Amino acid sequence: MAATPTPLEVRNIKKRFGDTEVLKGLSLQAQKGDVITMIGASGSGKSTFLRCMNLLEQPDDGDLIVHGEPVRFKTTKHGREPEDWKQVVQMRAKLSMVFQSFNLWAHMTLLENIIEAPIHVLKKPKKEALEHAHALLDRVGLSARANAYPAQMSGGQQQRGAIARALAMDPEVMLFDEPTSALDPELVGDVLKVMHGLAEEGRTMVVVTHEMSFARDVSSQVIYLHQGLVEEAGPPDQVLGNPQSPRLQQFLAPKY
Amino acid sequence: MLDISTWFNDLLAGNTIFTADTLGYYWEGLVTTTQLVFLSLIAGLILAVPLAIMRSSKHKWISLPVYLYTYVFRGTPLLIQLYIIYYGVVFIDGIQETFLWPVLREAFYPALIAFTLNTAAYTTEIFRGAIKATAQGEIEAARAYGMSPRLMMRRIILPSAFRRALPAYGNEVIFMLHASAIASVVTLMDLTGAARFVYARYYAPFEAFLFVAAIYLCLTFAILFFFRYLEKKLLAHLRPQDA
Amino acid sequence: MIDLQGYGPRLIEGAGVTIQLAVLSLILAIILGLLTATAKMSRNWFLRRTATVYTTLIRGVPDLVLMMLLFFGGQIGVNAISDMLYYNYDIDIYINFNAFAAGVLTIGFIFGAYMGETFRGAFMAVDNGQIEAGKAYGMSSSLVFRRIRFPQMMRHALPGLSNNWMVLLKTTALVSVIGLTDMVRVAAEASRATHEPFTFLLPVAVVYLLIASVSEWIFARLQKRYDIGFGGQ
Repeated sequence: MAATPTPLEVRNIKKRFGDTEVLKGLSLQAQKGDVITMIGASGSGKSTFLRCMNLLEQPDDGDLIVHGEPVRFKTTKHGREPEDWKQVVQMRAKLSMVFQSFNLWAHMTLLENIIEAPIHVLKKPKKEALEHAHALLDRVGLSARANAYPAQMSGGQQQRGAIARALAMDPEVMLFDEPTSALDPELVGDVLKVMHGLAEEGRTMVVVTHEMSFARDVSSQVIYLHQGLVEEAGPPDQVLGNPQSPRLQQFLAPKY
Repeated sequence: MLDISTWFNDLLAGNTIFTADTLGYYWEGLVTTTQLVFLSLIAGLILAVPLAIMRSSKHKWISLPVYLYTYVFRGTPLLIQLYIIYYGVVFIDGIQETFLWPVLREAFYPALIAFTLNTAAYTTEIFRGAIKATAQGEIEAARAYGMSPRLMMRRIILPSAFRRALPAYGNEVIFMLHASAIASVVTLMDLTGAARFVYARYYAPFEAFLFVAAIYLCLTFAILFFFRYLEKKLLAHLRPQDA
Repeated sequence: MIDLQGYGPRLIEGAGVTIQLAVLSLILAIILGLLTATAKMSRNWFLRRTATVYTTLIRGVPDLVLMMLLFFGGQIGVNAISDMLYYNYDIDIYINFNAFAAGVLTIGFIFGAYMGETFRGAFMAVDNGQIEAGKAYGMSSSLVFRRIRFPQMMRHALPGLSNNWMVLLKTTALVSVIGLTDMVRVAAEASRATHEPFTFLLPVAVVYLLIASVSEWIFARLQKRYDIGFGGQ
């Protein structure tokens, strides 16, 4: 294998909420530069799967290996938990998540949002973090809004800001949880354009989305989930262009 | 029942503090506390209704004096108010000659006056908040049916405001019960006064004060349950109907 | 000017005691309140229970009774300890159970229960997505608390905090009853000695109103600061 370890690998992830098993053993491997899109009906488990990747949800079973380092788990009376939260914290710093509802910190300006984690988590010097932040703001087209608070920005601006916040961590892998689902249709384009650019420069991304055009044009791999299982996976031409399972055919049909 | 009474007798026989005598003090204290709190709450309530209506008035010269009154009485400690009335009443010119003097000379009445004025101030603000929160639509409907402002206040605004004010007023009642403990400072033998007396006589602070704390706790819970019951009855119309 | 008949300096000293007492009690109450709120939201059954018993008991008993219990009982407790030290170890010390400490402890303890409720509600009002974003960026729980949970919680807690502070301020008057020389005690003594109650009690009442007004102004400014970033101001 290559000298650099695989950025993100998850094996056989299982998760249940009460009596319902939402993830029934899911695996995924993101090599450097991969753009993996996960599609599926709501309730198929795609967002839960993504949230298991940085342990915002605790998987009941399965392995999680970030940059070659497996996360250690232990079993307590509350269920399975990471053995060492310090390890989780370090692991999460390598995986930046972009949320459906943006989740920019409301009490900080956009600029403060972007430099917050680099300064306090990565311990970057403030000057360096600021320089980086301004470059990122420029890149997502929000230089003029650096000192605005999230509540003063449109949804599209907030999401582009949130992407800048994620980029500021120099992440190994970026996780996108339905980044355009909460946006008005006319604002979706700007966000997709930024994500398109990220894919082109070789960022490793795992994206949960409903945007079929994005999945088709940008991703290296498409995974179709159904009821907590992978129904079909492969390159976009194959999965989207020539779906095999009737369910996926049906899932894709009304949109084309 | 027999078990309980023998147990109680044994308990009394087994200690030197809770004799029939001291329990008598606590009983008297309970009566005094209940009288003070109950009377001041009733009087305060009677004062608060017209004051709250005045406080809600659009006319500055009607609402402002009431606001000043509630601001002062809510902004200063009840103890100060009690002292001012208790020590101050003597100095009202010629009061010794009036028929009021025998009444005011005793600590009970200055305390009652102070408590009444205090709770009236808080209750006024509680009611004012409730009046202010009346749904605009209800007022418009009343207007549309040709109700006079007076009729509207009496038939529409006040009845719904009282119900809305209930939870906050329940808190005020508990607050008054607890605040009444300072009556003991002006030599009244209320519950706390009894506890202080027992403490001083036997030098037994834990027994004296823990016992009275338990009584207050029971009273507090009784008030709490009473208001919960009232809310259930009077606010039933606000709950979604069961399917 | 009012003739304070020589009580002026003592009244000012008493006002100092009132303010110190109130501020120290507030700090203690905030610390206890944060602990209580945390305990109430914890997964641990025992912590949750303990916190509930604490808040229920405290809110069911008059402040003055609790204060007397702690003050008079505290002295006996302290005496018992010094007796024990003397008889068993021949260490002879006299610890004076200080009225000021008893006041701060009791008031802090009482208002810790009220603050606990205020903080719990405020913590629950913070949007979970804000916390998740912090976790997702590799913040440790203490960092999430310091940088996100706490500042956002404060916005919701301030109205309750301000209210509790106003009640706490007035509660400090009770320490005069257990023998602490705050401004109320000085004024009451002066009233009895000079037979001029209004001369002393009214100015003290005004001082309370003044402190309340100043605090109101401070809280309004704090609220503005913590409202930053949330629309509608």
